[in-house]
Amino acid sequence: MFEKMQRAFWKALTPDLVVDEPKVVVPPVAGLAANVVAALGGVDNLKSQKAVALTRVRVELRDVARVDRQALTAAGIPGVMTLDGGVVHLITGLKS
Amino acid sequence: MATPQQLQLLAPLSGVLMPLDQVPDPVFSTRVIGDGLCIDPTSQTLSAPLAGVISNVQASGHAISITDDNGVQVLMHIGLDTVNLAGKGFTRLVEDGQRVEAGQALIEFDADYIALHARSLLTLMLVVSGEPFTWLSPETGMVEGGQPLLGLHCVERIADEPAPEEGEALFSRTMTLANPNGLHARPAAVFAQAAKGFSASVYLHKQQESANAKSLVAIMALQTAFGDTVQVSAAGQDAEKAIDTLEKLLTSGCGETVSVSAQVEALEPLSSKVLRGVCASPGSAFGQVVQIAEQRLEVSEPGRGAQVEREQLSRALAQADLALQLLRDKATGDAQAEIFKAHQELLEDPSLLDQADALISEGKSAAFAWHAATEATAALFKGLGSALLAERAADLADVGQRVLKLILGVQDQAIELPEGAILIADQLTPSQTVGLDTRKVLGFATVGGGATSHVAILARAAGLPAICGLPAQVLALRNGSLVLLDAGKGELHLDPELAAIEQLQVDRQRQEQRHQHVLAHATLAACTRDGHHVEVTANIASLGEVEQAMSLGGEGVGLLRSEFLYLDRNHAPSHEEQASTYSAIARALGPSRNLVVRTLDVGGDKPLAYVPMDAETNPFLGMRGIRLCLERPQLLRDQFKAILACAALAQLHIMLPMVTQLSELRLARQLLEEEALALGLAELPKLGIMIEVPAAALMADLFAPEVDFFSIGTNDLTQYTLAMDRDHPRLAAQADSFHPSVLRLIASTVKAAHAHGKWVGVCGAMASETLAVPLLLGLGVDELSVSVPLIPAIKAAVREVDLVDCQAIAQQVLDLESAEQVREALRLYHEATVDTSLVLEN
Repeated sequence: MFEKMQRAFWKALTPDLVVDEPKVVVPPVAGLAANVVAALGGVDNLKSQKAVALTRVRVELRDVARVDRQALTAAGIPGVMTLDGGVVHLITGLKS
Repeated sequence: MATPQQLQLLAPLSGVLMPLDQVPDPVFSTRVIGDGLCIDPTSQTLSAPLAGVISNVQASGHAISITDDNGVQVLMHIGLDTVNLAGKGFTRLVEDGQRVEAGQALIEFDADYIALHARSLLTLMLVVSGEPFTWLSPETGMVEGGQPLLGLHCVERIADEPAPEEGEALFSRTMTLANPNGLHARPAAVFAQAAKGFSASVYLHKQQESANAKSLVAIMALQTAFGDTVQVSAAGQDAEKAIDTLEKLLTSGCGETVSVSAQVEALEPLSSKVLRGVCASPGSAFGQVVQIAEQRLEVSEPGRGAQVEREQLSRALAQADLALQLLRDKATGDAQAEIFKAHQELLEDPSLLDQADALISEGKSAAFAWHAATEATAALFKGLGSALLAERAADLADVGQRVLKLILGVQDQAIELPEGAILIADQLTPSQTVGLDTRKVLGFATVGGGATSHVAILARAAGLPAICGLPAQVLALRNGSLVLLDAGKGELHLDPELAAIEQLQVDRQRQEQRHQHVLAHATLAACTRDGHHVEVTANIASLGEVEQAMSLGGEGVGLLRSEFLYLDRNHAPSHEEQASTYSAIARALGPSRNLVVRTLDVGGDKPLAYVPMDAETNPFLGMRGIRLCLERPQLLRDQFKAILACAALAQLHIMLPMVTQLSELRLARQLLEEEALALGLAELPKLGIMIEVPAAALMADLFAPEVDFFSIGTNDLTQYTLAMDRDHPRLAAQADSFHPSVLRLIASTVKAAHAHGKWVGVCGAMASETLAVPLLLGLGVDELSVSVPLIPAIKAAVREVDLVDCQAIAQQVLDLESAEQVREALRLYHEATVDTSLVLEN
């Protein structure tokens, strides 16, 4: 906590010297946040994933039953579309 | 209708709401079509948001609209750019004119297919009749299909039905739609919006049908398709203006990019009397228009059994081969013979034959199979992004057509040419040009094609003027109308006046006189009127050219393209061969004249058989010139050694091509010094670099201290600066070295060189243009290295100007905006200063 405050202090004084930290934590699976992956049943449940149609991430799951809808909503995925063959579209919205 | 009533619109889908402003498609986000909402669907059935009649369901199933009894019209559009799916992934559940209940299923769609094949699934629901609404739910977040979303206030609607027509309706010309999917939602919205701007009643007509042009839905209901002919009519006060505006809008694609060549009839009226293109073969001619169009052939798809169709195809292929052989034998020049030989090879191309065979096995007709195979391969060629390959697609189309005609038994109609014909076509294929009576042809003008197209090759071989890259309007010219083709300027004058034609003849005579005059004075020095000497040297690629250059008054060799020693052979030239060639050229020049030898300038675009290279996707940005040589230093060492053999015979200069980095120069210099040391040479030859990469031009101040001279290669410098391929059929006209950006690079290069006491030459095509002479002198260029036949003309041009004037005009044009402006300014300058004593007409 103290360290964080000190950093913020230094950042305010010397804005050039302290590099901005990336706001988003680098996810273990490219493109999907860790909590989203967890809500989808973990990395093991993920067969493929790809960004499609501007606003969606299309994932193929081994077992759709392992998807935790509430956890997905909690992870900030507003819409989920479950399709045939283990395909699920996560509606993530437009990337800014 | 006077009593306000509320109508609820139900969510047509489940999904996530997105504010309309954020929809990444301006037609929707700007509400041109109407206000409403956007849902990113999580369900796959689109249901009716209100009860009413289906007023228009697109054949492709991606859009539908419903009109209720009070005239409220709601449009739903599934996904963005889904019209391109042509119905795939959509199942229509209702028909036009059908009455539906609120909540009734309208369209089913395959969300996964659309997500994978279209731009987006974002679905729009828009109130196109324009009633204001309020939200009955939060404006963001999840919605459930069938949930009430909007409350519509159906106040008395503003009558958007046109008032009874006043007076007679005016009609536009008929136009051909160039939009690849006809007037679908987006272009239709743009069109309707524009129509609404007029008080006149406006209708769009397609054959017998017509639609109120102010109604988006009505336009969409016309179900127009690519290539449909349409007409606009208008009645009322501003009818004329409406027709004019809407005609232009339709022609330009209503906000969609449309390919110009596809819209032959949809052309703007020829407002200007001059059409511009690129010179493909110089010269000028006055004659009458003859349009050459390719016949459209009807092909039936199903075959009559694989055996029959196969035999038919191979019979046609054999006949085509025979016909091409005849053409080859009769061909008037090597160029033509080579083209038909290439066509014969295409007939045997295994991948083409395999494709056709596979289709025949599937039960298709020989004609269909062959047509499909050639079209697919031609499309592939075109898609590869190379101008040269794109032109080979034209060859393939030509061969394809030849065989197709044989299969279908279509006779070629011999084109009867009138005297003095100027042939106009989208593209002229070799088969079309071969049968022509060249005695009756005075010139060519085409929309497609570039410097490497057949028209260019054949026209140059026949000594006829030709222009490529003209706007498509040229295809609308009436047969028999009179035109003046001025290929040198890249201009086609329509309906020229007698004075212009006479001027052309006078110009021709004067050019001839001038040619004789400059030839007679070729040996005079190239000194400006105020006594400034400019060295005019030759660009050569053989010993023969040196001798010719000397006889035409060349003062040295400014560019020896050493590639000629390396090309078209299976192994590198021996040291002896190289050394004796360089020495012979140096001897022809003598010890007092400059010989600038450019080291090997090859790359992925012109690979050497004995220097294997990986294919590059973009050879012009790949291992070319010095980059290749430094990667294979032995090649460069051997060349240096051979060049150094002639060090004492002329003023030897060595020039490195494509230098981008200082390290390349330093590395090459080190190799050169080592080779010179090994030969025991006391004095090193001069070492310079080509300035053809913008990086080198921009850093000329850093290069200057380390070189003995610069030579500017304007051709490459232009294409790299403007990022335009000089041979690109559509861009060639703009890839002009007179562009101020290129001139600024030349100016700063000269400044940097002179600051360090180094000289600058120009060896690109620009140096061979007389128009550029005052400009280049004014920018301070010390040497012009020009193509051999033009040496006398360039020397004469130097003798006609004052350096002081040149400097003034050069400074002025640096601040202009475009190459055209620069050329115009130089022309005016030329007329005002140089020719006044000679030309009385001006």
